[in-house]
Amino acid sequence: MLSFFSSCSVFLEDGFMYAILAMGYYVSYTILDFPDLTVEGTVLSGGVTYAMLARAGISPWIAILAALFAGAFFGAITGILHVKLHIRPLLCGILVSTALISVNLVVSVLVMGGNIRGEDALTTIPVGRAVPTILNTYPARWLPNDIGGFHVRKIVAFFAVALLFKILLDLFLKTKAGLLLRAVGSNQQFVSMLAQNPGVSKIIGLALGNGFAAVSGALIVQSRGNANQGMGLGMIVIGLASLIIGVSILKNVRRIKPSTMVIIGSVIYQACLAAAAMLGVPTAYNKLIMAVLFTTALVFSDRIKHQKGKDAHA
Amino acid sequence: MLELKNIKKIFNIGTPDETVLFDHFDFTMREGDFVSIIGSNGSGKTTLLNLICGSAYPDEGAVLFKGRDITRLSEYKRARYIGRVFQDPKAGTCSDLTILENMALADHKHGRYGLGVGVNRRHIDRYRSLLETCDMGLENRMNVKVGSLSGGQRQALALVIANMSDIELLILDEHTAALDPRSGEIIMHLTEKLVRQRNLTTLMVTHNLRYALAYGERLVMMHEGTIILDKNGEEKRRTKMDDLLDTFNEISIERGN
Ligand SMILES: Nc1ncnc2c1ncn2[C@@H]1O[C@H](COP(=O)(O)OP(=O)(O)OP(=O)(O)O)[C@@H](O)[C@H]1O
Ligand SMILES: [Mg+2]
Repeated sequence: MLSFFSSCSVFLEDGFMYAILAMGYYVSYTILDFPDLTVEGTVLSGGVTYAMLARAGISPWIAILAALFAGAFFGAITGILHVKLHIRPLLCGILVSTALISVNLVVSVLVMGGNIRGEDALTTIPVGRAVPTILNTYPARWLPNDIGGFHVRKIVAFFAVALLFKILLDLFLKTKAGLLLRAVGSNQQFVSMLAQNPGVSKIIGLALGNGFAAVSGALIVQSRGNANQGMGLGMIVIGLASLIIGVSILKNVRRIKPSTMVIIGSVIYQACLAAAAMLGVPTAYNKLIMAVLFTTALVFSDRIKHQKGKDAHA
Repeated sequence: MLELKNIKKIFNIGTPDETVLFDHFDFTMREGDFVSIIGSNGSGKTTLLNLICGSAYPDEGAVLFKGRDITRLSEYKRARYIGRVFQDPKAGTCSDLTILENMALADHKHGRYGLGVGVNRRHIDRYRSLLETCDMGLENRMNVKVGSLSGGQRQALALVIANMSDIELLILDEHTAALDPRSGEIIMHLTEKLVRQRNLTTLMVTHNLRYALAYGERLVMMHEGTIILDKNGEEKRRTKMDDLLDTFNEISIERGN
């Protein structure tokens, strides 16, 4: 029974942790119609940024904010490659995430005080007990860590961060800049006719998407206790699958915000993975299960897309 | 006010499909003019509008607006003083946004799109009365996604939206083609009212010869990238439907069909 509770606990934690990444995907994929591969790199960049600052004793909240800006910066580069150099969306993501492999690696080695030329340089940044996280500082410290195998503190803290970013995103989408962002994804020429540069909105959208991905990265590092170079792997699938599952399951619920759908989708997705683990499927199959779940979700979402019909980009 | 000088426009340059649409093409419009353009399919009407609005660039020649060379100016920069209704009813509005959101965006054209409130509730009454002028019941559906409107309703909304901000030049590409006869009449009246009220310089493409004769003080007919008929003022008023039909027939005979 205890293992059941702790499994539930894990999928809730992970669900909220990845929900922020999935909300970022909502901006780049659903709103902008931009399949963004940059997140594989920016999740790790967010994690590394957080680990670097937190190890220097900086408040974890400020470190998370810094992670947001780092991700937004790299996302903006993807956007600039697309808008200014007219490189296709998929290629832009591949280019920036490839470049980020080096950037993240070099920064990690430097943080660990190693020599970049050294053969045996440490590339994993540990975040030990002494490093401030949002879990071991106030306000989360007022909460009990654990009740009957249920990681209350972690769940509440991660939920609070997800909720905070959900509210910020909802507010942003109601502003003029937010409306314009939604317009760019739907009809670029409309935005041009409003005398606004559609490219600028696209860059802002990609910055936002990757900023959110980096915040997820910062939480992952706090949850796992280290930032390692393989961390970004599979993030595209996690983000997209959570988004698509949430939207396809909840599309008929009235008056529900997309950001809420995405958070629920993320929890459902992690619950599926946890269920597979509980049924005794070895974790080695995890990525395979992820791909299968994702395919199922895609088939459903494709049906939605066909029904809806997108604007012709005249 | 608007001047196209010595324009050359080639499509699919350097491929076997290369076609020269405009060659040594000239066109001028004076301030306050209302010009109607007619012409067979593929005669280059939409392309002419694209060159004016910056959706396409000429291969040679210059586009001047109020004496200023705007040949290479991007579409969004020209949009500051140009309003446009597209031939495609989907192009002038945003499907994923509601009527209200579309209007709120368009209302703000000359401002900055920052972190202010997107839809300001105080302006709703003004938006509603603008929609009432179309007489299509759109004023009762302001929270409906534009994607669920019919083509004609979208086109009417696009006309309203194009006129919400201070523009100097209004470009209309068959904006009544998707409308039923009654709505077409209403929208043409509305167009004329807007143009008169604000003394807009207007360029209207239409396949409806009756509209072309009834509205505007200048009539231009295009064929295969050239202007084959250009009547102004009194001369235009004397032109009859039959004259236009005769010219259309002459073209077809020339073409050999
Ligand atoms: N992007 C393009 N690429 C290649 N050819 C083009 C392109 N745009 C227009 N053309 C060609 O240029 C010619 C003029 O097209 P245009 O759309 O200007 O015609 P139109 O007068 O607006 O016709 P319609 O009355 O059917 O709307 C056509 O032969 C068309 O095939
Ligand atoms: Mg046309």
